[in-house]
Amino acid sequence: MHPTISYLKNKNLLWQANHTQSTESGQHSGFTELDNALQGGFPEYGVIDIRSLLGIGELRLLLPSILTRQQQKKTELVTLIAPPMFINSEMLAEFGFALDQVMVVQPSLNKQVLWSAEQSLKSGCCHSVILWHASLSVTQVKRLQLAAEKGHCLLFIIRQPQQEHISLPVTLGIRLSPSKVGIKAQITKRKGNWSNNSFDVYMGAYWPELSQLDTNVLAFPSRASRAG
Amino acid sequence: MMQNIWLYLYFPNLQLDALLQQNPDSNIHTQAYVILDEQTNQICQLNHTAHQAGIRLNMGLGTAAMFKADLQVIAYQQKITKNRLNDIAQSLYLVTSDICFFNDNGLLLRVHNMLNLYGNLISYWQVVQQQLLQQQVHFHYATGHSPLAARLLAITAWDQITDNIQTVKQAIQQTSLQHTDLTTKAVEKLQRVGVHTIQALLNIPIAEIAKRFDIEVATYIGRLTAQITHPVNFFHPKKSFERFIELLYDIENIQILQGPLKQLLQSLEQFLKVRDLLTQTLVFTFSQRDEKSIELNICSQQGEYLAKYWAALISLKLENITLSAPVFGIRLIVENTYIRTPDKGDLFAGKQGALSRLQLISLLQAKLGANAVSTPVLTDDYRPERIIQKTQLQPKPIQHSTLYALRPSFLLNPPQRLQEKVSIAYGPERIETGWWDAQPITRDYFIARNQLGQWYWVFKTPTGDWYLHGVFS
Repeated sequence: MHPTISYLKNKNLLWQANHTQSTESGQHSGFTELDNALQGGFPEYGVIDIRSLLGIGELRLLLPSILTRQQQKKTELVTLIAPPMFINSEMLAEFGFALDQVMVVQPSLNKQVLWSAEQSLKSGCCHSVILWHASLSVTQVKRLQLAAEKGHCLLFIIRQPQQEHISLPVTLGIRLSPSKVGIKAQITKRKGNWSNNSFDVYMGAYWPELSQLDTNVLAFPSRASRAG
Repeated sequence: MMQNIWLYLYFPNLQLDALLQQNPDSNIHTQAYVILDEQTNQICQLNHTAHQAGIRLNMGLGTAAMFKADLQVIAYQQKITKNRLNDIAQSLYLVTSDICFFNDNGLLLRVHNMLNLYGNLISYWQVVQQQLLQQQVHFHYATGHSPLAARLLAITAWDQITDNIQTVKQAIQQTSLQHTDLTTKAVEKLQRVGVHTIQALLNIPIAEIAKRFDIEVATYIGRLTAQITHPVNFFHPKKSFERFIELLYDIENIQILQGPLKQLLQSLEQFLKVRDLLTQTLVFTFSQRDEKSIELNICSQQGEYLAKYWAALISLKLENITLSAPVFGIRLIVENTYIRTPDKGDLFAGKQGALSRLQLISLLQAKLGANAVSTPVLTDDYRPERIIQKTQLQPKPIQHSTLYALRPSFLLNPPQRLQEKVSIAYGPERIETGWWDAQPITRDYFIARNQLGQWYWVFKTPTGDWYLHGVFS
């Protein structure tokens, strides 16, 4: 190999297509459509940036995979940092969470939010952290990413859709929008892969009440006709 | 029968030593320092530099100032000396069983019953000396066949360890009456009749002494020569840790405060480690000049003894504190300790985190306050508001067995009037409860979806008002 090339490679300045790590992770999200789009599911650890309106199912999209993680790692915590409203314990218990493995952190100052997230990530005793935070800089995300790798933890950052349009160095970026069947998702960023189609995630299997029936009624005959 | 041997340790400079230990970078080595007893206006402790300048014990302040112009004078505080002596006794207790306090500057050790353990006097003394050297104090020592004989020799800086009574007796005879515990009045009386040394005093038969002088003198002689047994109260160490350090100069900056705090924590670590104890709460009191002192409680969910760990929690706690006045002293009290039980970690669990769960909670609580960290709990009440009131950090919340209805992820506290147009998707679910107390509710809950596609949990009151109570995130 040419010395310049090997020098650049050592400096990590050169990217080669075969560098991409295999992102085949077995962490199923619990939703077939999302698993297909992510080719397996959520990464084992890292930072996931979620842009979504409040109350369209953004948290419910994460719950099945977090529940799986909780069942796999019984001694570790799931930490919810700075939720915009009061977290309803009944909902968590109803979905099957062991409540003593859930920790809610509500810092009074904005700057303490990221600090709490970093501490929880790198502590190694949390398997997932969900963070509600408005603005993030590239450096902050990098720090969180390192902390998440150190603690083998998965961080979900839930933000409003309209804020900031700079590209952040996250493992996975998802934009969510409301949909009648469940939620509409679009993968905006993904390490080592590229897909930009938006797709509907059907949530009726978990929450039939929150997945509107009229769409279902319409969808059913059309699927049947295609099969026939 | 085994002969009695007592060891007396005399600490002439306890307060100065304590100051030096707390402020290792100060100029106590080079500058002449004395401790002045304000009641008698006499010098009661002095360092080497002051001694070289000609200053002696019991000298008045005026005379001392004439010997050395740039003399540093510090007021005597019995409390500091006592605390220091107590610490020394605590550490000696680890190697020797019977310790007795003498005045504020001496410790008496009963040696003869420890010899079974240590074999002979020399090896016993080596162990004791080792403990003393760790304490970084000046001391003089002597053994004797009676407590007072040992004390007398230690005060005269005899610095010898022997189990030969003849040697001790000879040494005692040489000492002058000035060093004894007799009152000045009694000493003067004796000197007037030509008795200057112990030898001269011992030559007089004890019956004669009792007749011609105070009974006090006779008792002293009796105890010195071990004819009368000396009553001693032995020391029993306290289970709790308490220490006060006085700062040599006032500190206003929290950063600088970390130094003395570290020392306190180090000694706490030693205290706990030796006893294999852990603690969950430290109480610091920062005494401020002309202001109320600040009390700081530092809690760890998991019992800890390591200074390093506590230092991290304290620095987080201190970030939230502003000093209104300079700090001149710090007290650390640790009352509740418990025996350490080994961690039952699973060796094969795979990834081992840097922190345990309780350590993480303590860390977050130290910085954010105890109320910022919580664990969701369930209540046995159908009113959704009740959940908000009961959430606390509990080690084991009770799990409900029956949960059926669909509940939102977020609750608004308190519910707000519904301001926008929504379409009902599911419902109603009637909750009518609480008739037994002052806050009964009758509500019909619906799941609704607004124009933007957000899922709401709304309710209608019997009067027809609509409220937004939750959001299905």
